[in-house]
Amino acid sequence: MQNKDIIETSNLSKIYRLRNAGEVKAVDEVNLKVQEGQFLTILGPSGSGKTTLLNLLGGLDRPTTGEVRIDGLELSKLTERELVKVRRQMVGFVFQAFNLIPTLTAIENVEAALAPTVANRSKRLERSSYLLEWVGLGKRMHHLPAELSAGEQQRIAIARAFANEPKIILLDEPTGNLDTVTGREIMEMCHRASKEHGQTVVAVTHARYVREFTDRLLYMRDGKLYTQIPEEET
Amino acid sequence: MRPYMYATREIRRRKYRTAGNVAGFVIAIAALITLVTAARGWEACTAAPMKAIGTDIILIYSAPVAPSQGGCYIANHLFAYPFNQTSIAQIAAVPNVERAVPILMHRMSAVVFTGIDPSETETNAVLPTAVVEGRYLNPDDGYVVLVDREYSQQHNLTVGSKVRYFENFEVVGIVDVGATDLIKSHIYANLPVAQEAVPSCNEAEVNVALIRVSDPRNVDATSEALTSELPSATTITSSNMATTASGVINIGEATAWNISIVLAVVAILFTIKSQLGAVAERTREIGILKAIGWSSSDVVNQIVIESALQGAIGGILGCVLGFGFAWYVLYTMGGEVGGALSLVAIDPVILAIGFGVAVIGGIAAGLYPSWKAARLTPAEALRTI
Repeated sequence: MQNKDIIETSNLSKIYRLRNAGEVKAVDEVNLKVQEGQFLTILGPSGSGKTTLLNLLGGLDRPTTGEVRIDGLELSKLTERELVKVRRQMVGFVFQAFNLIPTLTAIENVEAALAPTVANRSKRLERSSYLLEWVGLGKRMHHLPAELSAGEQQRIAIARAFANEPKIILLDEPTGNLDTVTGREIMEMCHRASKEHGQTVVAVTHARYVREFTDRLLYMRDGKLYTQIPEEET
Repeated sequence: MRPYMYATREIRRRKYRTAGNVAGFVIAIAALITLVTAARGWEACTAAPMKAIGTDIILIYSAPVAPSQGGCYIANHLFAYPFNQTSIAQIAAVPNVERAVPILMHRMSAVVFTGIDPSETETNAVLPTAVVEGRYLNPDDGYVVLVDREYSQQHNLTVGSKVRYFENFEVVGIVDVGATDLIKSHIYANLPVAQEAVPSCNEAEVNVALIRVSDPRNVDATSEALTSELPSATTITSSNMATTASGVINIGEATAWNISIVLAVVAILFTIKSQLGAVAERTREIGILKAIGWSSSDVVNQIVIESALQGAIGGILGCVLGFGFAWYVLYTMGGEVGGALSLVAIDPVILAIGFGVAVIGGIAAGLYPSWKAARLTPAEALRTI
């Protein structure tokens, strides 16, 4: 039986109006459907609009035109308060630059994602330490990001993304700042987690080895999405 | 990791910025406490002599004068309109006047010479209790005088010394009239002798009368009755003087409050600018927090809590510093009345107001930067470097 579409976009566009450079179409009329539990990878060069698409899918930005549906919710029709709920409960982000809060320890960075949803601090810490054990940082949870390697920082970011058990995990160049070995480890971890918990993953990257972990591959260039991968990318 | 905890981390992380913001509040609050307490100390020092005079005393000058001109400095002017024996009798006849004591005041080369009736030992320009050396005057004394202690020290006068005021006088006593006496003079002589010695004074003429009323509650009515009885004279009650002085005092306290408010506003503006810088520096972090599910109000709370904590720290330190400064100011103020510290305690309400102003100022300083940060979408915030 085919899974339902958890992500659906129709004619999704994001246009940036720049003062001196006119309009830039970062995302151009994208129509996309992602099934629940699917691991989708979008390849594409830098500046192709992958991050902007991911931001639109995760409710971090609002589209200029078109629609994004997450589990049946039309994001552009949601109020800011409702959009916050989507970001809290339905979507987990992993960024290329890790995007950890430098003043917070590993466990506090994970806890920060649980703060808006779990009122009890001991429960938050319990869940955070479980997640850090899970990503292999059980012994480093009280270290600041600056005291950890790039791979370890990305593991914290993954633990944080999975903290609220979201239905969708969005990976924005998750291996971009990592060497190939560490990048593979990170991708394996995301792949394993998504399969264990039935989460849907959308990863955007220009790292070719990522396709080893993916169920479906798309290609993005100049804001448009293609099913055909160009030869130079294969 | 709640907004409060994150705010405390940010305060510890940005030590120099925090120190700058806190210092602004410390200066403002310390100034508020010091200035207001100093103004109150000044008020107490000024009011103390008036309280000591008593509410049952009226001073009546023989001529029209403004109260602000002061008693002894208008002494010569009063000679143009002297009181004679009839005038004193008129004053004594006014209802509620218990005692009307005639006094002659004369001033020459900054020295005030006063003639008193030594038989008046309860209501007078100088009383026997003021004698610190030698003796008080007797009604049958001739050319002998009492001199003020300060004046005696300035001119090396002791009991037995000679002093000249138109005539030669022998010093028989040193008096310490202090600041609490209504008529402060340098030299006190027997009234008939003074009338004889001062060339412009005719026999039995005086220019001031010190009046004690039988019922202090009727002092204002008595003063009005005296004014209608002697229209060219000027009556001054201790409450008149207190009102005049307290008007000046109120201006002092109002000025202290105004200066403090200006300082507090400057501290708030400084903190707003500093917080705007802090928010700009961590726009990306704000984007991260919003991306992981923090709401705009969580972001606002975090920045406002941070700013309020800085205000609170500034308030506490400002209160401690202000308390110290205020104590020192009171300690060194008002020597003549025994020091303002014996009259005024540092008001805990002022400390509470100071602390409250700092916290509210901190909150106010955090509102605009937090609003500016919160209105960014997570994607916009994450795009910043």
